Amino acid sequence: MGDCQSLGDCDDQRIGRIYEYLDGALSREDLGEIKAHLDGCTDCASEYDLECVIRSVVKRSCKEAAPDTLKAAILSRLHEGRSAAV
Amino acid sequence: MQTLSPTAPLKLSLSIDSTVMNISEPEQTATSADTEPDVTTVTDVADVDVANESAEERRVRFERDAMVYVDQLYSAAMRMARNPSDAEDLVQEAYTKAFSAFHQYKPGTNLKAWLYRILTNTYINLYRKRQREPLQSNADSVEDWQLARAESHTSSGLRSAEADALDHLPDSDVKSALQAIPEEFRLAVYFADVEGFAYKEISEIMNTPIGTVMSRLHRGRKLLRDMLADYAVDRGYIKEADHMTETEK
Repeated sequence: MGDCQSLGDCDDQRIGRIYEYLDGALSREDLGEIKAHLDGCTDCASEYDLECVIRSVVKRSCKEAAPDTLKAAILSRLHEGRSAAV
Repeated sequence: MQTLSPTAPLKLSLSIDSTVMNISEPEQTATSADTEPDVTTVTDVADVDVANESAEERRVRFERDAMVYVDQLYSAAMRMARNPSDAEDLVQEAYTKAFSAFHQYKPGTNLKAWLYRILTNTYINLYRKRQREPLQSNADSVEDWQLARAESHTSSGLRSAEADALDHLPDSDVKSALQAIPEEFRLAVYFADVEGFAYKEISEIMNTPIGTVMSRLHRGRKLLRDMLADYAVDRGYIKEADHMTETEK
């Protein structure tokens, strides 16, 4: 069960904290607090790891390259607009 | 590039122009959600004289500064539209609108976020109008059962042992998982996790209060975990039982 006695009750809140931590949205003092907590709590540490993995997996999976035809079409329309605007 | 024929895809010939208004004055939304002025990333502002630059100079500046985001915007568009063709149209329209509003973009402010806001607005306006896919009209019910289920699983849905399994999920599964969660959640998660936008930036891009962004993120991530866990179970990477709550076991 790890070191978090009340896993379940404050779980949601704590996960929220981990999100905010990863999102870079915590205040300095909260930051210190959650870091210290992560050091001592295996449950939360694995939660943290998991969230990191999910983010990297999503990032990796969603990377797409715009087709060259699209890039060309965009540029073409920009140039087109120039002559049309005159 | 000049030699390209002007037969650019114009499939989305809906009244795009009328949709520009939402994004034409980005400075305004910057203050809506927060008291802070917009986050200005100091880039090469280098004395751009917006008021006096020629159309040609503006186009060159736009191409130089905005085109570098085309892959990212396309990737985001793929999370909005459901197929490459619509995504291309979306990005094309977004760039067209961005260019026509570019004189209103304040050099030195966050161009990437500005472009994302235009993309998002374009998507919302275009698709709402089109109504070819009634934009998550069933979002509430979907959300309810999905959330209820996500809640019923362990907080994490997955444990660290399973984290490794996720690494093996094919991209297509991950995309489907993301696609399966309601749109507002999906986009919030995408903007935060993939693009690394701050809450405030997301609130500007999606035109919602920061509190809403945070709750969308929280719920969206839960849903995503749950969906990913399902795919991992389907692939046999993790056992169903590992994914159960104490009560379900």
